[in-house]
Amino acid sequence: MHIVVCMKQVPRDNSVKINPDLSINADGIEKIINLFDEYAIEEGIIWNEKHGGKLTVLSMGADEWVEQMRRALAMGATDSLLLKDPAFATLDTIAAAKVVAAAIRKLGDVDLILTGRNSTDDESGAFAPALARILGWPQLTYVGKVIDVNPGSKTITAERHLETVVETVTAPLPAVVSVIKDINNPRYPSLLKIKKVAKVEPPVWTAADLGVSGLVPTVTVTQRVPPPPRPSGETIDGPDAATKVKKLVDKLLENQII
Amino acid sequence: MPGVLVYVEQVDGEIAAVTRELLGKGKELAAALGGSLSAVVVGSGVGAVAQKAAAYGADTVYSVDDPRLSPYTTDGHVAAVKAAVAAAQPSLILAGASFQMRDFGAALAADLDAGLVVDAIDLKADGGAITAVRPSHGGNVINTYAFAAGRPVVALVRKQSFPEAQPGAAAGSVQALALDGAEIRTTVTSVAPKTGAVNLTDAAIIVTGGRGLGDKDNYYKLIPPLAEAFGGAYGASRAIVDAGWVPYEHQVGQTGKTVSPKLYVACGVSGAIQHLAGMRTSRNIVAINKDPEAPIFRVATFGLVGDVNEVLPLLTQELKSRLGR
Repeated sequence: MHIVVCMKQVPRDNSVKINPDLSINADGIEKIINLFDEYAIEEGIIWNEKHGGKLTVLSMGADEWVEQMRRALAMGATDSLLLKDPAFATLDTIAAAKVVAAAIRKLGDVDLILTGRNSTDDESGAFAPALARILGWPQLTYVGKVIDVNPGSKTITAERHLETVVETVTAPLPAVVSVIKDINNPRYPSLLKIKKVAKVEPPVWTAADLGVSGLVPTVTVTQRVPPPPRPSGETIDGPDAATKVKKLVDKLLENQII
Repeated sequence: MPGVLVYVEQVDGEIAAVTRELLGKGKELAAALGGSLSAVVVGSGVGAVAQKAAAYGADTVYSVDDPRLSPYTTDGHVAAVKAAVAAAQPSLILAGASFQMRDFGAALAADLDAGLVVDAIDLKADGGAITAVRPSHGGNVINTYAFAAGRPVVALVRKQSFPEAQPGAAAGSVQALALDGAEIRTTVTSVAPKTGAVNLTDAAIIVTGGRGLGDKDNYYKLIPPLAEAFGGAYGASRAIVDAGWVPYEHQVGQTGKTVSPKLYVACGVSGAIQHLAGMRTSRNIVAINKDPEAPIFRVATFGLVGDVNEVLPLLTQELKSRLGR
């Protein structure tokens, strides 16, 4: 079977700045695979090892993203694909999903798409559902356990881990699945494998290759500001711990916080 | 009609608090847009909930009542709401921002080719144009969105963003809609409550422990009893979740839960930027740490420098005697 993992590169932390043109400036912050996507890659490897076939890591972005795609290849992905075009740079999530959907259609033989529940920078979690709907495939989001992927019956059964309940759901393949953090333990690629893929250049598909044009964002950012600073706090002092604790509880009661 | 449609979430046959907020804000936005407020109730045996929604200010409540709509499926609920969208032609569709609503809302927006905002904390309608405010990047960036004209907007709203609507006389009408031609492709075979579920995002008080607790035994000795004395839930930093002390369920931060309780008590938590991302919007923050330079103190409402091993048992005791718990 052919499994595709959609992955995104993100800054390791969100101490980003805002450029005058309102774009996000993450210069100087280490770039990593979006953590939730790393779990998706591991889940893809697990099922690829079981059923064989191809495991493609797909990313939409700039050349600098290739480094993280190589990491996914070193972990165990068999193929890679980069979607790159100046027209893709400013797309909102739904428009990005349209581009990825075009690539999935062009690949033609995809049985399962895995991705993280959200990126840790944008944090919307909209990509997987949007991609599923645009492809016309069923979706299983917030999956904490894949119980079975059955190429024979062409089904996937998985647990969706929501805030207070766990749903067990079966969907026909092809399907789109988004995964949460505790689904597995992503492996560390060996040095040997890292060396082996160090020079791999993923195939690149552009907007023209995909036949997508006239993508209009439905959302535009008109303002971006840092959050208002928190009012400065108060230090609870005292000669010993017992005095400080009493003072703290006094403060909490006085301010009707408890 | 350039109005507003609210997706009604239900909790044990009652209208969820976030929906009451949306009905309140939706009424205001509908007036600003020059349209009416409608609501859609989706499920099986939901007639009573539809009546209640009418009492919270919806001019029209669409009820899509069908056995196939319970439990939730994306296919079922998106099809049901699209029937209501076709009837009401709203310019703005509001729902909460829980995992299930994200599953639903993004799918609906894709189907309608609508604008989408997830985790909205404010919404405005000026001269027919809708704008939304949402945080991203762990709360380090506050974005204002505008939307393309001529398409609806789907806004998934973070709870506790708006005051709740108050019930009045049920003035609105309830209109039944059929779930026509919907193909539901997924099969839900069980819906089980999470064992030891902690809905941190709903807790009014959260007590979180970090690496400063030293080890797993000490965490369980000190943190859950303190949380209980506060009448709250207990959370954990990523470091100690990854170390296997505490299940992921309890993790607060960039790759865990984003919480905004009335009181957040961080014990032995240094306050890495990834942790702050998940709790910086808490209304009050207490930090207890022996390192006075720990970044957590920079966001603290009340900072107490001290050894958690000494402070926490005293605090638990003090709360028990003062609060009578």
